[in-house]
Amino acid sequence: MAFDKMELRDIEVWDGNFAAAQAMRQCQIDVVAAYPITPSTPIVEGYAQFLADGYVEGEFVMVESEHAAMSGCIGAAAAGGRVATATSSQGFALMVETLYQASGMRLPIVLNVVNRALAAPLNVNGDHSDMYLGRDSGWIQLDAYCPQDAYDLNFIAFKVSEDHEVRLPCMVHQDGFMTSHTAQGVHTLDDDTAYGFVGDYKPMNDMLDFEHPVTHGVQTEEDWHFEHKARQHNDLMTKVMPKIQAAFDGFEKLSGRKYNIVEKYDMDDADVCVVCMGTSVETAREVATEMRKEGIKAGVVGIRVIRPFPFFQIAEALKDVKAIATLDRSSPNGAPGMLFNEIAGSLYNTPNRALLSGYVYGLGGRDLTKAHLVSLFKELQVNVDAGKVTTQLQQFIGVRGPKLAYL
Amino acid sequence: MSEMKNIKNLKEFSTSADRFEGANLLCPGCAHSIIVREVLNATNDDLILSASTGCLEVCTAVYPYTSWDASWIHIGFENGSTAVAGAESMYKALKKKGRLKQPDRNPKFVSFAGDGASYDIGFQWISGCMERGHNIMHVVLDNEVYANTGGQRSSSTPIGSSATTSPAGRVSYGEKKNKKDMISIMAAHGIPYAAQVAPNKWKDMVKKIQHGFSVDGPVFINAISPCTTEWKFDPKDTMHITDLSTDSLVFPLYEIIDGRELNITYRPKNVIPVEEYLAAQGRFKHLFKDEYKYLIKEWQERVDSNWAYLQRREESRV
Amino acid sequence: MAKKGWDEFEIGAMLRTFDGKIDDIAGTQQEDRAYSQSSSYTASVADWRLIKPIFNKDYCIDCQFCWIYCPDVSIIARDKKLIGVDMDHCKGCGICVEVCPTNPKSLLMFPEQADEETEIASWPKKDEKEE
Repeated sequence: MAFDKMELRDIEVWDGNFAAAQAMRQCQIDVVAAYPITPSTPIVEGYAQFLADGYVEGEFVMVESEHAAMSGCIGAAAAGGRVATATSSQGFALMVETLYQASGMRLPIVLNVVNRALAAPLNVNGDHSDMYLGRDSGWIQLDAYCPQDAYDLNFIAFKVSEDHEVRLPCMVHQDGFMTSHTAQGVHTLDDDTAYGFVGDYKPMNDMLDFEHPVTHGVQTEEDWHFEHKARQHNDLMTKVMPKIQAAFDGFEKLSGRKYNIVEKYDMDDADVCVVCMGTSVETAREVATEMRKEGIKAGVVGIRVIRPFPFFQIAEALKDVKAIATLDRSSPNGAPGMLFNEIAGSLYNTPNRALLSGYVYGLGGRDLTKAHLVSLFKELQVNVDAGKVTTQLQQFIGVRGPKLAYL
Repeated sequence: MSEMKNIKNLKEFSTSADRFEGANLLCPGCAHSIIVREVLNATNDDLILSASTGCLEVCTAVYPYTSWDASWIHIGFENGSTAVAGAESMYKALKKKGRLKQPDRNPKFVSFAGDGASYDIGFQWISGCMERGHNIMHVVLDNEVYANTGGQRSSSTPIGSSATTSPAGRVSYGEKKNKKDMISIMAAHGIPYAAQVAPNKWKDMVKKIQHGFSVDGPVFINAISPCTTEWKFDPKDTMHITDLSTDSLVFPLYEIIDGRELNITYRPKNVIPVEEYLAAQGRFKHLFKDEYKYLIKEWQERVDSNWAYLQRREESRV
Repeated sequence: MAKKGWDEFEIGAMLRTFDGKIDDIAGTQQEDRAYSQSSSYTASVADWRLIKPIFNKDYCIDCQFCWIYCPDVSIIARDKKLIGVDMDHCKGCGICVEVCPTNPKSLLMFPEQADEETEIASWPKKDEKEE
């Protein structure tokens, strides 16, 4: 092949964007169709630079919108090769139409989503509004909490997504700026090991096989549509989780780094816990450890796989806990919040009827401070002691003005 | 470069093995499939095709049937051009990397879309594809209306046409705006080839399509596609209406090379009055009321002026 | 095609035109292709027709106007000769008759129920008014 390998140190200091770009380079993507948007832009800039420097071989198509970026990715993936891109926020919103088309056509595209708020009002910073917008789109969604995760989960994403029993596109999420622009030490894989883990792309139903012409993107009406959507849902519900687990297991053997579908920290004997995603997981872990010194048996559950939702794994992780706080970093706009709803659903038919309360935080990049989490854990302990939720079920934290609480 | 298919005459052309099938769901007498057949039969090379949402798409790939004998993709209304550009990018990537299953082929990448999907909703995507230099051909099946959704005006709908969203009525003569000059806009991208074609002039069409396939870079083809349903004429008259469109010079046939050099490719021996073209179609019926007859005169003047303009451009090689 | 259950078809609503491999599609006529049940070639729109074309080869000059202008790939031409009309795919639009240049025409439209042999036996004579 006509490209050079790159010598990496065992530990490189990379931000989340560059970590994702390096993983994309090591996966040797065939086509990247992309459009810039803050804060994900450096991922595709990084990829373009690797191409310009001869470290990858493929086509980089700088299109005229995010909608076109995903459209180009769909055409390229249907043609038959490895495809990835990156976006954020408004760009993600513009892509939404094509996200459903990519998944409905069962095309294994990897989309790095650097999470950012949705306008209006316009905001470039991290929250999970775009990530939540994608949750019914039929994609697999993996969540990175730090640059190391962003690097590693890209390999997992290609491995799972391109599996012929899966063939569903996959998003790798990371928090805008907090992960994407924060440089940390990242343990690397050498190029051969990384590529070896993901493996060669194996075409399926590829348009470029001229001896087996295919028709992609048909119309189905009331006599067929339901069956096709049911098939897609079935495969998400039954085929994806075992493949993710197998990929996590294989990756642990290779790298020593262990990922779990649901990440549990200090949950073995926890009375109270928070369930959250992204960079908040690490903050919550730190605070939980401190709370234990104050006699509150605190734990943290991080969601690693958002779709398919780890319904039973969540119920298992939370089976002995007495009070749970869900942390939603997206305005639910008239509902309790995605995590609140999903976790309530996971637990409803289980013996553990833990006290569940929801918190909305961090919109538009507002910090979630340790102080916020300290008072949150204390509030949960009050609930445990009282045997009931003593606050309203939904509270906003970290917002100025009179206290906001509902339900 | 593959060998160009030799098509000297219609008899020879008729030995082509079609790669588009019947029992599609297009209306009887629809010009779309005539155009598609002429385009696809212009080459023997492999084809990678796309269609944007529209009549052609919804009538040729309704599960569990496909009417396409080459690989074909539909994504949405606006992005058929980009879909095929994505496939073309993958072709280039796999060719470089030595991973094509049949490396000896010379596929042609063709995107079909209606005027709505090209002049309106897909405009930006097509512009992007033209500007980026993909080796693709975008073919507009220009029936001057959103036929698939029941006859709404597009920016290709001509003045005086009655469309469902610009209907002729007691106090209106229908569409108020003139048809967008899409081919000039596309040629302004500096693409190697842009051309107007009509299915009645099959030889002109085949020549242009073959030239389009032979150049390196994006090609834009605007094909007039008379719509029996929305233009309101008898299905048997599709070719007659097409003849009227080209021979009245309402739809002149020409090409623009590299965005700079314009050649008129068809000069009718007997130019037909525009009035005859209008009179043959129900969508212009109301123009023949006394109060709107001035519009027919204006139509003729506009067509004359455009023809003069095209001739001036051809003569001065611009 | 039979209505299949959700677990009985290819993922992504993908359709294949042919059964197995096809090497040179453009060089293979329809009758020599292994169409799958998913190709509309295997379907029929004959029930759309109210009127149908009947082909009278006695007058045909094999000009192929009907072949090129047929929207439904229903004029069967092989070796530069017109063989007949594909009545599974013809929708009865009548374009073939309109573009037929012979006098009398080699293709004419008749009610769907008309009998081919009878109509050919009573085919119109040359129209002297035409040039």
